[in-house]
Amino acid sequence: MGVKLLLEKAHVEGIRSYEVYRREGGYRSVEKALKTMSTDAIVDEVKKSGLRGRGGAGFPAGMKWSFIAKPEGVPRHLVCNADESEPGTFKDRYLMEFIPHLLIEGLIVSSYALGSHDTYIYIRGEYAWIVDILENAINEAKANGWLGKNILGTGFDCEIHVQRGAGAYICGEETALIESLEGKRGNPRLKPPFPAIKGLWERPTVVNNVETLASVVPIINLGGEEYAKIGVGKSTGTKLISACGNINKPGVYEIDMTISVEEFIYSDEYCGGIANGKRLKACIPGGSSVPILPANLLLKTAKGETRYMNYESLSDGGFATGSMMGSGGFIVLDEDQCVVKNTYTLARFYRHESCGQCSPCREGTGWMEKLLLRLENGQGKISDIDLLWDIQRKIEGNTICPLGDAAAWPVAAAIRHFRDEFEWHVTHAEEAQKRNYGLAHYAEPIHVPVTV
Amino acid sequence: MKFNEEQLTEFKRLVARYPEGKQKSALLPVLHLAQESFGNWLSEETLDYVAELLQLKPIEVYEVATFYSMYNLKPVGRYLFEVCQTGPCMLRGSEDIIKYIGDTLGIKPGETSADGLFTLKTTECLGACGYAPMMQMGKHYREHLTKEKVDTIINECRKNAAVNN
Repeated sequence: MGVKLLLEKAHVEGIRSYEVYRREGGYRSVEKALKTMSTDAIVDEVKKSGLRGRGGAGFPAGMKWSFIAKPEGVPRHLVCNADESEPGTFKDRYLMEFIPHLLIEGLIVSSYALGSHDTYIYIRGEYAWIVDILENAINEAKANGWLGKNILGTGFDCEIHVQRGAGAYICGEETALIESLEGKRGNPRLKPPFPAIKGLWERPTVVNNVETLASVVPIINLGGEEYAKIGVGKSTGTKLISACGNINKPGVYEIDMTISVEEFIYSDEYCGGIANGKRLKACIPGGSSVPILPANLLLKTAKGETRYMNYESLSDGGFATGSMMGSGGFIVLDEDQCVVKNTYTLARFYRHESCGQCSPCREGTGWMEKLLLRLENGQGKISDIDLLWDIQRKIEGNTICPLGDAAAWPVAAAIRHFRDEFEWHVTHAEEAQKRNYGLAHYAEPIHVPVTV
Repeated sequence: MKFNEEQLTEFKRLVARYPEGKQKSALLPVLHLAQESFGNWLSEETLDYVAELLQLKPIEVYEVATFYSMYNLKPVGRYLFEVCQTGPCMLRGSEDIIKYIGDTLGIKPGETSADGLFTLKTTECLGACGYAPMMQMGKHYREHLTKEKVDTIINECRKNAAVNN
């Protein structure tokens, strides 16, 4: 059993209620932070912890905090990004649903550190029932003196508000989220200025993911240095992984980042192996936008070393032979799945979610979707594969926000590693309509599952 | 068309979360409230009413209402089934579920059944990938869908509609 810092108490009976959460040691970090630490000292602890943003980009959280401008007389805001929408990702939902007070606790400490008196949780509109859970937790926290005026007699005032989105993946991008929070379309802003200088209502703003802010609680309780001892290298602390696809035990798992990908997939503590006794074909290890890897490159790096579930190891080999930790959305494909079809559904997703501001993304995502559908339906040409490659290259890096990259990468990686499968859809068009390509040479070396 | 007393109280609570002069920030939540209050869709009249309440130009409301996928700009059936079809759900058989619901109700995605009870929509990822296949129904998710489960849900809706008519 690995170390658990976030979900350790998630299954204690009644943990959703304030009484139980408090009895289990909740809100200690607020006491410690507000009563014994300066705001700078808190930022320092978060820096020392090595905590990296858990939304997908992996940017050091403490550093992001230290960028916030502090002009005289201008309010600052902390915004919690709960717009979890990356396909394969459902970890923040789990945390908010089962242990909502952990997020509220993290938000209070973080709001204090950043000087935010009005903090907003921007949650995806579809998570409607979680809004009630969070508002209930906020009301309980307030009734017990952890929110409102003069918290714990320290003179610090703070309110937390929950704002519902209305169905737009793009609002997970921090500047689009801010636009949306201002009551506008979710069109990402040009940077600079960065939100830390001009964010919500042109005020200095920090936007952090749910899991990032919840992680502030163990960081304060343990101290940044102790927190940094968990994990390996620049992958410190624990990470929530939401595992889905063709596995025996889909769900949300908290891992310390020292376990191997093979153990994560095959151990009964986590995914429990591939469903229906099938073999592993491929995996998208960090949410739909990160490169898909064939089984052989997933379990071992190109150098033949074991691949681990952490930031560095998952990206070992760059995009040529590696992938990314991303948001921790771990999507597993068994031997019966079709990579062309899976890529098509992702391309459709990105076309649907493109805000339409930048032409490479607006036009390119629709074009890729059409080509992939054509290939999937056995009506494609070999030149379509090259055209797809060309389009994704012209989207990547040419858009205001990373949605363009997110749309390009899955297509690029699918062609890079599974080109033979795309070609087969052209050369064996009729057969491709009747059956999937199945396993290829790259999935062969998978042996007996590890026993733990 | 106007909010009743209770809805107005909620409207005021929503607007009060933002600093003075920033009432536009309440637009998304107020549109949700308006949709829930006026038959689960947003007519032009409703959008104009929201604009008036928040002291915005109507275009500011229209451009937001058309951007976000959760706002229904056409009337929908009493029960709206929004079935996820993105990768992770597809891997677990969402296509079969979509087809089954369509066949059972005699409608295609985007259509409403003749009795006005059901609308079937396909959606993109709803953040329930580990509990696939799934759909959103009102405020809640229905997960781990099977044909049997779909039958049960449809029957529940029919019974519920008969009782509450």
